[in-house]
Amino acid sequence: MTPSDHHEPELGGDEALAAEYVLGVLPASERLDVARRIDADIEFARLVEEWEARLSPLGEFYVPVEAPSAVKQALDRRLFAAAVPAASRDRASWWNSLGLWRGLAVASVVALALVVGWNLQPPVEETPSPRFVASLENPETDVRYLALYDEAARTISLSRLDGAAAAGQDFELWVIEGDEPPASLGVLGDADHLEVTPSEDLQGKFAAGAVLAVSLEPEGGSPTGQPTGPVVALGNLRSI
Amino acid sequence: MTPPDISKLIVRTSLRDRAAFDLLYRQTSAKLFGVCLRVLNDRAEAEEALQEVYVKIWTKADRFAVSDLSPISWLVAVARNHAIDRIRARRMKQTGLDEAAEIADPAPGPEALAVAGDEGARIHLCLEELDADRAAAVRGAYLVGESYAELAERHGVPLNTMRTWLRRSLMKLKDCLER
Repeated sequence: MTPSDHHEPELGGDEALAAEYVLGVLPASERLDVARRIDADIEFARLVEEWEARLSPLGEFYVPVEAPSAVKQALDRRLFAAAVPAASRDRASWWNSLGLWRGLAVASVVALALVVGWNLQPPVEETPSPRFVASLENPETDVRYLALYDEAARTISLSRLDGAAAAGQDFELWVIEGDEPPASLGVLGDADHLEVTPSEDLQGKFAAGAVLAVSLEPEGGSPTGQPTGPVVALGNLRSI
Repeated sequence: MTPPDISKLIVRTSLRDRAAFDLLYRQTSAKLFGVCLRVLNDRAEAEEALQEVYVKIWTKADRFAVSDLSPISWLVAVARNHAIDRIRARRMKQTGLDEAAEIADPAPGPEALAVAGDEGARIHLCLEELDADRAAAVRGAYLVGESYAELAERHGVPLNTMRTWLRRSLMKLKDCLER
């Protein structure tokens, strides 16, 4: 620290406590005290909310990961099973699973309708310069890729600048559009130059602002269709 | 799904509308699972935490009505606070920083920062005004829920120094955001 640091103003009092709670740096006992105070003290609760609002854009860096369906089933049991009389519980779970299957059937019809809908849509009008670049990196890792998406050729050219997956693991490339779950663009082989051709239904996801991310996965790629390992590099597409 | 739709789903959830709750889960659980995974860095624990988060959302959805946060920010705040409470409780029992060090920390590069869009851009610019290690401490605390003690150890400074750093950084951030 430089000497001038000592004259820098710092956040104090309730404002500091609110910010530290939101940031998450407090020990367990203090977090508990603060949580109680939020319930009891409207003024203080407002300070906490202001800090939540200030820092919330950082939440955009949480990469969505699809949760296993068992989680929702367990959640439903936890929240709603108590309402079912004990005698009919077996039947209820049978009905629940029927409901689940119905839900899946509906979802697949909807998915089909979406695919059909896409196919029926007229081709998107081409912009004059339909090319995007992204520099994929993460200061915590040495993995770096440069990606170029050419909309006319419908290919992503990837150059690996640094980093490699350990033996028995693979890098997988994902495209993320807004809060949508990541869509896989495939496993990246151990080559410094690669070309990836996204499937037809993913073409629409490539636009300025969309995120490309590389995650570390078991050999052969994610077994779940969603990233399961850490994101070792990411960056957003910029129009060039 | 656009934010207004999620707002409606949260409000309907507060009225005990189970169909709305199911839809809300379908629309938002991937994001909140991402939050839990990131903070807890353990799949089984994150799955457990995700359930608890949605139990909270089911029982406390009425609080959204009095919040000024965007619906997604509100949901992420519920998930983050819960996951951080959990990891704080866990870390009282174990001192394992090794595991925390394995987390691929997201501290995003300049390109990734631009992801954030208009609303978010400002805080990223303000973070850029801080010294790099202090900005990293703020991001690390926010995204993976590091405590003062862990931040102090990782940055090799006494805990009180870390507290002073962070409080100054927060002051600067606040000033910058209000400019």
